[in-house]
Amino acid sequence: MAGETNNLPELDQDKYDADEQVKIICLGDSAVGKSKLMERFLMDGYRPQQLSTYALTLYKYTTTVNGKTVLVDFWDTAGQERFQSMHPSYYHKAHACIMVFDIQRKMTYKNLTNWYTELREYRPEIPCLVVANKIDADMKVTQKNFNFAKKQGLPFYFVSAADGTNVVKVFREAIHMALSYKQNSSDFMDEVMKELESFDLKNQEDSDEHEDEETEKLNTA
Amino acid sequence: MSIVTKRCGVKFTPPSIVLIYETKETGRVRKRVIPVRNFSQYSDCSRAAERLKHHIRHGPYLEMVPLAQLERLHVVLRDHLRGLSLEQSLAALKGPDPDEEDLNKLGDEELARRKEQMDELFQRNRRRKSDPDFVYDLEVEFPEEDKRETCSWDEDQSDDEF
Repeated sequence: MAGETNNLPELDQDKYDADEQVKIICLGDSAVGKSKLMERFLMDGYRPQQLSTYALTLYKYTTTVNGKTVLVDFWDTAGQERFQSMHPSYYHKAHACIMVFDIQRKMTYKNLTNWYTELREYRPEIPCLVVANKIDADMKVTQKNFNFAKKQGLPFYFVSAADGTNVVKVFREAIHMALSYKQNSSDFMDEVMKELESFDLKNQEDSDEHEDEETEKLNTA
Repeated sequence: MSIVTKRCGVKFTPPSIVLIYETKETGRVRKRVIPVRNFSQYSDCSRAAERLKHHIRHGPYLEMVPLAQLERLHVVLRDHLRGLSLEQSLAALKGPDPDEEDLNKLGDEELARRKEQMDELFQRNRRRKSDPDFVYDLEVEFPEEDKRETCSWDEDQSDDEF
């Protein structure tokens, strides 16, 4: 996987290893509104960087989380989805994924399975959330259950890029998920924390060491 | 013009666009039959629709009628002149079943055209920053998952349910 970065000379993906940098990718069929959602979240402040050679658009976004500056790169597909799959570099080093479908077109919902399978091939562990877009076209869908997310154990949101419903919420959520994935405070670290808590006094010294490491990690990220 | 458009349709003989509208002052509902002239089975429907929309006498009455609708009505008229039935014409206008259409498979031009069609609704429902009631971080709660009914899209793997 590391070799893939060589294929994109304009794109230095090593920067995503830095604590304050996160990469969030968007996945979904053509015309489900991925770019429209991006633009609604960023409003006038967005500076998209078109990389037409790679059929992708980058949106840079800076925010503050717990007093720390975080630089977010959102990756959007710019038509690459029409090749039925994405270039491996699209997934490379991604910290979170937003999967989008259009509530007006069943095909885009059915295709989530394919997108999700591909995502998991490259990024088995990153947090992923599912959004049902264009609910402004038919509010009745919000009374319905879409099983895909539940089946995969993914958070699910009803959104509308047009009227703005839950768009900002979803993006903020994605940023938080990306950061916590990066800090590895997800499953693996939760286990470590649990273990530390259950340590008894005679192991105090040992656990203290671990704890120090961890606190440091959380603070710098 | 102070009228409210109610409905707009098409009549085959003589070829005409029929408009039902209400006059604001009197509240009376009226019908206006606009003859479609110089139109044949070879005519360009979007041009013909535009011509009508900007017609010096009829245009003002059609202000509230979207250009796309006028164009569709002309297509129905043209299809009739070509010998198609009304059902055939309407089915063709509807396009492929939106549930089965895979836009990933379309070429650039066709995809751009479909996106343009979708954009109509987007623009109509759009809340802009300049709107007085605009909320950037608009959060809406929807019923809990277990209170929602199963979506027909999940019912089974076959597509027969429609």
